[in-house]
Amino acid sequence: MTSEIWTEKYRPKKFDELAGQEAIVKRVGALTNSLNIPHLLFAGPAGTGKSTLALIVVKELFGENWKDNYLELNASDERGIQIVREKVKDFARTKSLGNVPFKVIFLDEADALTPEAQQALRRTMENYAATCRFILSCNYSSKIIDPIQSRCATFRFKLLEKKDVEKVIKRIAESENLEIDEEAITSIYESSEGDCRRSVNIMQSTASVSPKITKDLVSTIASEARPKEIKIVLEYALSGDFKGAREKLLDVMLKESISGQDVIKQMQKEIWNLTIEPELKVKLTEKTGEAEFRIVEGSDPFIQLQALLASFVLAGLGK
Amino acid sequence: MKSWVEKYRPQKLTELIGQEEAVGEVENYLETFPNVRRKALLLNGPPGIGKTTLVHVFAKENEYEIFELNASDLRNKKSMIEKLKPVLEQSSLFNKNKLILVDEIDGLSGTKDRGGGSELVSLIEDTKFPIICAANDAWIQKLSPLRKKVNIIELKDITPAETKNLLKKILEQEKKSINEKVLNQISIKARGDLRSAINDLEAAASMENPEEIFIDERNKKLDIFKAMRHIFQDKANKEMLGTFDKVDMQMDEIILWFEENIPKAYSGEDLAKAYQRLAKVDLFKGRIYKQQYWRFLVYENIFGSYGISQAKGDKEITEFKKYSKPTRILKIWLNNQKHGKKKTIAIKYAKKTHVGYKRIMAQWNEIKHQLKNPMIQKELKLDDDEINYIMKY
Repeated sequence: MTSEIWTEKYRPKKFDELAGQEAIVKRVGALTNSLNIPHLLFAGPAGTGKSTLALIVVKELFGENWKDNYLELNASDERGIQIVREKVKDFARTKSLGNVPFKVIFLDEADALTPEAQQALRRTMENYAATCRFILSCNYSSKIIDPIQSRCATFRFKLLEKKDVEKVIKRIAESENLEIDEEAITSIYESSEGDCRRSVNIMQSTASVSPKITKDLVSTIASEARPKEIKIVLEYALSGDFKGAREKLLDVMLKESISGQDVIKQMQKEIWNLTIEPELKVKLTEKTGEAEFRIVEGSDPFIQLQALLASFVLAGLGK
Repeated sequence: MKSWVEKYRPQKLTELIGQEEAVGEVENYLETFPNVRRKALLLNGPPGIGKTTLVHVFAKENEYEIFELNASDLRNKKSMIEKLKPVLEQSSLFNKNKLILVDEIDGLSGTKDRGGGSELVSLIEDTKFPIICAANDAWIQKLSPLRKKVNIIELKDITPAETKNLLKKILEQEKKSINEKVLNQISIKARGDLRSAINDLEAAASMENPEEIFIDERNKKLDIFKAMRHIFQDKANKEMLGTFDKVDMQMDEIILWFEENIPKAYSGEDLAKAYQRLAKVDLFKGRIYKQQYWRFLVYENIFGSYGISQAKGDKEITEFKKYSKPTRILKIWLNNQKHGKKKTIAIKYAKKTHVGYKRIMAQWNEIKHQLKNPMIQKELKLDDDEINYIMKY
């Protein structure tokens, strides 16, 4: 059964369909053909084809039986390494079906694991080395501990270029009988920031409104998708209303279920859209960068964001 | 010699204070077992209120044999099976009235008793004998699987007057006397914990100056409102470094109180500075967590107490400020109530599309239009509640 969700319906099924990662596809394809892959580490931004490539690898390896031999886990969703270990253990207990002597475990967003959890993962990888291959995906390979990196063949996925995303969009437009012009394509590409999955999602959302996709329609949908409220939070803070900013911030974070890191990313972008002195923009950006660093290091992003807002209040007063 | 707590532990149901309702429920449960909707009972109430005593006294009067597990037994999955299973599976021919008491279940430790909780849940499902659990706080997160399987009975709070009554009776029997003021203090401080009240009474009765029993207490306990007033309003001084030791609350929770109340005490530059320092507390907390380097606690403490106090400089604030409970946890809870379906939908969608569900939730606005498509709703096997949610938001 084909899916009605376009990211699934149009997910590449063969190596040569994967957009924009030619060099990686060639090497991974060769490894897969030898029926003996090492552990793999896929590093790169979201929506560049990491999960897709993992799926292609297992489908090539196992054919029809791929589902019996493949386990997909998401490190930022699973609560704790313990769960990961138990699932891996259960899955690895039985032998693989078919003529490939191992099963494959795909651990998505592996960089969400703390270094200790990664140590535990490393032991798990060793314990089941005979029966399982791991494919890990992450945004930044630097957040993966060295012992794991050294056990994996690492592949760095690059952000998709406009021509790659364009190819995908045109293919879908043709198959779904949509009308789309060059400007709209550019708009989709820009609002999804090279993330192919988001491009396709924005396209499907737009198409659900009208089969004629225009630049205006895309920017309406895409700007709706981007919480405008972050800008309001900034404006409250710069006008000196700390309590208002604080309350609004918590509301947005809860309502849109966005993380502290999503918020700060958005703030950093919104600073450019504020009508304030250039000098102040630089100052706010500097503070934002510092706060982002602390969110990564600290434990409660909301506290770091409040501290940032409080400092914006001062900056707004020229202090 | 027996301690007073042992000596005056109720021997009959009629001697229990204020728990008639709970006794009735236990009675009802045991009479109808095994024809009950939920196979186990959970007595919920603060320490020293009489949960364990209730079960023991009841068993004694009604000739039940008690098999008891408590926090001193290691209750991980394996030992739970080893200890409980034979008891639960034994034929009922020889031990007609057997009752299992699993005490202090909220004390199941996360690491040592791993799997114990879920094992208990599955044992309850198959049990041939009544099981009564007891907890100080049945509403904590880790007990949520268990809550679905048991009938929760809240024990009634014991008032200071009831406590005082009991203490007086004990004094009478012991032929001792203590001045009224101390008796009142003990009764109030106990907050319904009869065990600690009786212990305090015994200690006070043996002292020449029973008032002294509270001196230590006064030095030790500081409620969070006083702690905030002290740090936010008094002039920063080195003694403040000990403040958090005196507050009967975990640091994580104290941080939430401070986060909520800094804007109520400070404004302008002071406010910004205070938050910078609270942010430092959080930073070191994160570092402790990630690096397991516990000496960072020192910095957490300094920035949290002296640091926040000194954010206002040399000043002191004499005017009265009203502080309040943290609202963030409540807001998160309310939001989860309202948008709980979003998560269940995101989990289904994520599974289908090979993405983490948190990412789906964060990019909700980009995919929500798709979810209005009935074909996709069917494909994701969304239920009516979930579809309603999509149509509403």
